[in-house]
This record gives sequence, structure tokens and C-alpha cells, in this order.
Amino acid sequence: MNTIERLAEQELPRAPRPAGPQALQTGGAQATTERPLVEVDGIAKTFDVSPPWLNRVLERKPRLLLHAVDGVSFTIARGETLALVGESGCGKSTVARMLVGLYRPTRGSVRIDGHDLAELSGPSGQALRRRIQMIFQDPYASLNPRWKVAEIIAEPIRVHGLLTDDDAIMQRVGELLRHVGLAPADALRFPHQFSGGQRQRISIARALASQPEFLVCDEPTSALDVSVQAQVLNLMRDLQKQDGLTYLFISHNLAVVHHVADRVGVMYLGRIVELAPKGTLFETPQHPYTRMLLDAIPDIARTGRSRTPVAGEVPNPLNPPPGCTFHPRCPHANERCRREQPQPRATPGGGQAACHAVEEGRI
Amino acid sequence: MPSDPAPLLEVRNLRVEFPTRRGTLLALDDISFSIAPGEVLGVVGESGAGKSLTGAAIIGLLEPPGRIASGQILLSGRRIDNLPPAEMRKVRGREIGAIFQDPLTSLNPLYTVGRQLVETIQEHMPLTTAQAHSRAVDLLKSTGIPAAESRIDHYPHQFSGGMRQRVVIALALAADPKLVVADEPTTALDVSIQAQIISLLKALCREHGTAVMLVTHDMGVIAETADRVAVMYAGRIVEIGPVADVIHQPRHPYTVGLMGSIPSIGDEREKLAQIDGSMPRLNAIPTGCAFNPRCERAMWVCRERRPDLIDAGTSRAACWLHDATVMGDRRSAPDSATAPFGGDQITPALRQGH
Repeated sequence: MNTIERLAEQELPRAPRPAGPQALQTGGAQATTERPLVEVDGIAKTFDVSPPWLNRVLERKPRLLLHAVDGVSFTIARGETLALVGESGCGKSTVARMLVGLYRPTRGSVRIDGHDLAELSGPSGQALRRRIQMIFQDPYASLNPRWKVAEIIAEPIRVHGLLTDDDAIMQRVGELLRHVGLAPADALRFPHQFSGGQRQRISIARALASQPEFLVCDEPTSALDVSVQAQVLNLMRDLQKQDGLTYLFISHNLAVVHHVADRVGVMYLGRIVELAPKGTLFETPQHPYTRMLLDAIPDIARTGRSRTPVAGEVPNPLNPPPGCTFHPRCPHANERCRREQPQPRATPGGGQAACHAVEEGRI
Repeated sequence: MPSDPAPLLEVRNLRVEFPTRRGTLLALDDISFSIAPGEVLGVVGESGAGKSLTGAAIIGLLEPPGRIASGQILLSGRRIDNLPPAEMRKVRGREIGAIFQDPLTSLNPLYTVGRQLVETIQEHMPLTTAQAHSRAVDLLKSTGIPAAESRIDHYPHQFSGGMRQRVVIALALAADPKLVVADEPTTALDVSIQAQIISLLKALCREHGTAVMLVTHDMGVIAETADRVAVMYAGRIVEIGPVADVIHQPRHPYTVGLMGSIPSIGDEREKLAQIDGSMPRLNAIPTGCAFNPRCERAMWVCRERRPDLIDAGTSRAACWLHDATVMGDRRSAPDSATAPFGGDQITPALRQGH
């Protein structure tokens, strides 16, 4: 443990661990003086989905750009859990991938503890990446089936050079396995010998192997059964308490988000339409889309409820509607919503919402 | 409850087995339940519990080598489990409709949805092509597909996921069946679309008086849709009863754990209840009650003898805790069989977080 921390410090000469007291608002429920661990400023990701060059020339087809994420900003304080929810195709996984550096943002910047993720390359970039890890959705696809669990978990330790001695690495792997509720002896087995929930525990152990501060969890429980989901969610909560982890939690399940998050961001077609502390968002949702989502989820507490179904579907992101992208489905849309894109504005309760109707007090 | 008069569907002691080289696996073990006309029965359970298999056995689509080993399935009093395939084809579609999880694989990508609907309608109803076509348009309209007259000539890939599932529902209801087996109809869809599909299914079935067997792992969907619910574990029904009772007053320790593990908006628990371990594999189902290794209230009898469904309040649960003779050995009051499962006393049975 000590060795690892010492090594970690050596590798991070430019990383002042306890960030100096800077009067910077986290945007969270409570304003802290500490600088937020994660600062995301207006990131955007555009994918080029144009037809091949020959088709463009011969058939005069235009270039096609898919704006998967279009100007998303938020901050996450140390030890906080920010959840992003939204329907498929809203860009939440793209945000996750940009935060861990799997995609490079087309625009905007991601700063982790004050360091810009894009500017760092080479050894200092690797040192920063050690502090960010990701847990993927599918525990069947994210573990190498030909590797033993020991090799899977030891890889980040070796890559980041945290330990070099084989015995020490194996001991560390055993510790990590015990940390996530598995037995050290499981290190000698292969992923196919484990159930879905156990595999997700292995993924978590691998993510924790490099002693990260920030974990990006992309739908970590949506491939699991409910009772196993409860085991994994409880484990993640325990680990956050013990190790002081910061989470970005991506999910489409609002009930799960309600359980894990401190603050919640709701995404729609590549933008955050509402971002608020959990209590505010679930009790007094502002944006019409948030209200619609909350109304739509089936909940066991509401037996035999008759619902008001939401009209319409998510529009094609290749050809989003002008103005507010939600206006075709919104019952409060007016001419301004069809023309002008709303910007996020502060709402009572410490949140923000991007909606003309909320801003004008029409709803 | 409505199951008393003449049930529409009755499943009696159904056993489904899979012969393998290493012996025969019993995937469904002694399943009995019934569905009344117009009733919605929810079937829940975790993956591998046998819920989809129950649906497949009813619509006669068990994949070989799976086979019905014993038991009966009766639809309106007539046995359908032993029908020859040609006869079963007539039942399927005409009397039992089916909706599957993935709307894309339920539709033929090479034919327009209109052609598939007309084919299904004409297979089961004596209508001319023009009549069948207008019925198909009506069906699409009733499932809420905008511009049904022109959409009918589109191919499945031209529809979005939610729209495709509407087409599948239209197909299932094409010949006015008395029962629809819906296997995870909303799992592949987004929440806002999911809500649309559930209310559509509910409204259509109420209109037509169609009974529904709704197989899903989503308790929220069940809570809002079903009249009664059956909870499955390791190939058996462990609890069956009115939906509100099963959710709010579960009687079987597994159901108690299952309900406690579901996060819900508005509950402020620090930790979710969790059932440690996982469901046993089919080749390693413990003797006695299949849940006993994970059950904190397991007694000697649970390891020795398998409990049958017994009355527990308004529900029926397969658990010795509700058996007066077993519990009578340990407690003097015969009524104590249900007492341990009332209200707050449930929680100590589970590993609740601190």
C-alpha cells in the first residue's frame, strides 16, 4: 500500500494532491472551496458519417456529420457521484468515453484536477490516466476470455509500473479481489468461470488496481439481474466510502440513478437539458423532458397506476430539429422554442435547466 | 380472484427437460397456474429462472432438445401440449398471440409489414386480400402508428424500435387471439417508449378482452400492468398472488429479497437489500428448497424436503415458513406461520446494510 502511494507520488510531480483553496463553486448542492476534481467545459464530439468519397463525388451526396455530444459542461467535486441519464443515442456514453480519453473531444476541454486531458501526452499523460478508470456495461465483453483473472487485474499495475515484483503484484491482486468480495484464489480462474455479477466485480477490481480517484461507470449494472445489481451497487457505494472515489455514473435507469447519485444530469440529443442535485431533480423537475421521463418510468411503488404516455420519439440525431431539440415532443413549445436554442440557466434548488418555458416562467 | 370460473389457460404440473450427454436437466419443475379470460398474469424472475421457457412451452415453441416431460397445458379446456405441429400452427396466431423481446428479429426484413400482416390475417381468418388489407391498416392505426395507410407498405427497417414493436403487437393481435404471450416486450426499448408500449398493450387487451401472460424481469412494468404475478426461481414458481400483495407483502424469502433489491424513486435507503450468491445452475439444484443455500431463514426441513405452493395470506408461496405443521414444531401458535412475514420483521432475515 505504502509502496504504491509512494510510487504514485513520484510519478505525479506536477499534481498537487490537496488542491489549494480556491474560491470556485462546484455547482453542487453545497458550495465547497475546493476545486472540483473533474471540470468539463463545453465538450462536443462530432462523428463523420459521410458516404465514401467516391459516392460523394459521383452521386453528389453531401458530407454528413453526427453531433453526438454538443456542448456539455459540468463539474464533479471530490467524492461526489454525478449521474448522467438519458435515452439511447443521447450521447451519454460518448461523454463517458471522452472523459477517460477514449475519444478526443472535437471542441471543449476536460480538466482532471486542473490538468487538461488533451494536452498531456507521454509520461505525464499516463500518470493522469492512472487516476481515471472506467467500468464498462457488458462484463462479458470487457474481460479478455483468454486471460486469467490474475493477469487481467495485474495489467494496470504493470502498465503504470506501480509494482514490479511478481510476488507483490500477486499479493496486491489478492487484496483487490478480497476488496470487491471475491476470494484471492479466484485469481487463477478464467472469466467464463464466473457469473455476470462476479465478472462485474472483476471489472471493478481491475479498475481499482491503478488506485484511481475518478471512476467512469458506463451502465455498470444494466446487464445484470436485479438482485445482482443490488450487490454491485452496494459494493460501489462501500468502495466510494472507503477509498473516497469520485464517480461519473451513466445509466438509463432513473431508479438506479436516484439510488446512487448526488447530482443528476439529464441528457437529450447531445445536450444536458437539466442538471440538479438529486433531491431537487426528482422532487421538482423543471425541464419538460425531465418531467416526461419521471412520469414514464414504471415503478413498483405505483401499482395499477394509469399513466399518461409520452407522445413521440427521439428525433434522428443526424437531422435534429432547429431551436430546442425537444420542441416537437414538448407540450409547452412555442415559436421561440422552434427558433432559438435555449441556454442553461440557474433554477431554484441549485440546479440548471435549458428551457425557454422555464426561463420565462411559463411552466 | 378471477381464476375461479373457467380459466382460459391452465397449466398443470408442467415439467420441461433438456436431455444432455451428462444427464437430463429439469428446466421447469412442476409448474401449475391458470389465467382467467382478460386477466394479465405477470411472470417475473431472474435470468435462467425459466420464465421465457414457460412462455415458449405454452405457445409450443420449445427449442429442441427441450421437451415437455409431463404435465398438461389446457386452453379453454382443450389440451394443446400434445397437438401435432400442424394443429398447433392453427392455435398459434389464432388463439394465442406472441410478442417477443426484439422487434427486429420478430419481423421478416424482406417483406413489407403490410404483407406480413395480411398473410397472418388470411392464415387465420376467411377474408379477401382487400378485406385483410383494410384490417391490417386498422390494426396499425389502433397501435398508434401515424399515417398507417402509407406506412403499411414500408419495410421493418424503416421503422424505429418503438414503432416496430407496435407492428409486432398488431401482428400478435391480427387474428383476435384470446391470449397473448408477451416475452419481455419492452426490454429492448427506451423508458419513454416503454411507457407508450405498455399502455398500448394494456388498452388493446382491455378493449379486446385478451388475456396476457407478461414475462419480464422488470418489476416496475409488472406492478403497473399485471393483475396477478408469479415469481419464478430455478424452474419453479415460488410465489403467486395478486400483484399488490406480492410486491408489498411478499411471503417467500426470495420474493422479499427480490423486492428489497429493487431501487425505487422516493425511497431513501442508504443500501439496497441484497441476496448473496446467485441462482443455482440447472445441473446443481440443491435438494429440498432450491433457495435454501441463500435463505437466511432456512431450517432443517428446507434442506430435506421441497415445499409445494401453500396458502400464505392472499398469495400462495412455496415455503415451509407458511406450513402450519412444520412451524408448529417450533412454535406453539399455529398462526405464527404467517406472522414472521408481516411488516418490519422481514428485514432482519435479509442482509440489510448498516
